[in-house]
Amino acid sequence: MTYSIIARCPHTGRFGVGTTTFSLACGRRNESLRPNVGISKSQAFYLRRIDPFVLNLLAQGYTPAHIARLLEEDDPDFEYRQFGIIDRENNVFAYTGPRIGQWAGQRVGPYYAAYGNGLAGPETVEGIVAGFMSDPDAPLEERLLRGIEGGRDAGGQRFKGQRRPERSAWLRVVDRLDWPRIDLRVDMHDRTVAELRRIFEEFKRCDAYYQECSRDPRNAKPEEVVMSELSAA
Amino acid sequence: MTFSVIARCPRSGRFGIGSASYTMAIGAHCDGAVRPNVGVTVTQSAPLLRNNRLALNLLAQGFTPQQALRVLAENDAHYDYRQIAIVDREGAAVAHTGTHVRQACGQRVGGGFVAVGSMLANDKVLDALVAGFESQSRADLEDRLLNALEAGRDAGGLKGSKGPLPERSVALLVWGKHDYSDIDLRVDLQDGAIAALRRMYVDYKPTAEYYEERARHPRNAIPAMEFADMLKNKQKAMS
Repeated sequence: MTYSIIARCPHTGRFGVGTTTFSLACGRRNESLRPNVGISKSQAFYLRRIDPFVLNLLAQGYTPAHIARLLEEDDPDFEYRQFGIIDRENNVFAYTGPRIGQWAGQRVGPYYAAYGNGLAGPETVEGIVAGFMSDPDAPLEERLLRGIEGGRDAGGQRFKGQRRPERSAWLRVVDRLDWPRIDLRVDMHDRTVAELRRIFEEFKRCDAYYQECSRDPRNAKPEEVVMSELSAA
Repeated sequence: MTFSVIARCPRSGRFGIGSASYTMAIGAHCDGAVRPNVGVTVTQSAPLLRNNRLALNLLAQGFTPQQALRVLAENDAHYDYRQIAIVDREGAAVAHTGTHVRQACGQRVGGGFVAVGSMLANDKVLDALVAGFESQSRADLEDRLLNALEAGRDAGGLKGSKGPLPERSVALLVWGKHDYSDIDLRVDLQDGAIAALRRMYVDYKPTAEYYEERARHPRNAIPAMEFADMLKNKQKAMS
């Protein structure tokens, strides 16, 4: 059980993912985004090697739809997989296999895909899209986080009639550089989406300071002083 | 404000990082810092993300860690503010602690590993990192790295201008033969981050294999929720 929103920012071309799930440390999958190439985020019964494979094919010029056909040809258990792929021209492809079990579904938009499995029902996916679309001019990271908050608020995950907690969550945005612009994680928490929001708000307060420390550390104030000033503010 | 151990496992050839910091989300600073069959590196104190890939690209081209470190020095106007460690696939290890890195700071370079730290409570923290890392030398690399971080914390950990500082974030990464991590666990913003990571590691380890197996053979897989309940009952029975 997992739900995700992946998107290419229509204003900046940045790629990002917001995801949350019952299993621990969903944010360990850095291999799923590649700057100026695309996103491939697989879930449900996912094979770890698939996302880097898909990105290698995107980098060679394959379209997402063609890559999906290649994956299908090569996989006797394709009907257990769920994935989304976006390339740098906003080609979006998503697939939800019919044999995943629990309720699973997807919504594909012009530059995004929202999808999940083990969900309360279609309302979770609708909630993700509503959250993501609530402020189309917001920065991509804010939109992605609102997406998973929307999914949570719409009912989130369910198994055998019971609400199941999201225990890990991940927010990653890549821009032009090889390393991510934002990469924040909650690996194990009872209220993981709220915890990710808390960390994201703290990140925004500190981001400029940390960027400057890296770029020109000569005049940087001591970190612990800056942090106590920020908490006092 | 950060202490880390980077290492190559002498038995398996896997590479890993254990890093704990007052800075939030230290794991984000480890992006691109491990590459299978190439090496492992960190740049901390004043971080510089470009260094991770640059150092590993140089190793992949055949440069020694010593030569790679020289390139990083010449490529960076603020090298004196950085703390850097590099280990290659032959276990060759180097480190640099700039003259402007905040005290107490320093490095310990061993065969196949480096311990580095800044804003430490005392000089013994570095020795404790090494002792923790060596305490179970036959264990898996991820266990050794986590042992090291706990020992560094227990020896006094971090200190700022107004006294002790908590570790607020921690990262534990190990890469083996794949082009993705074997293990990658983080705590991004929480006091007592190392203890939180240990709790998570205990819960995570038995599930990792389950998720790989269910992807390889989905037709016979036990549902994730049922597996989680089985695991919980087993842990209860054992305790």
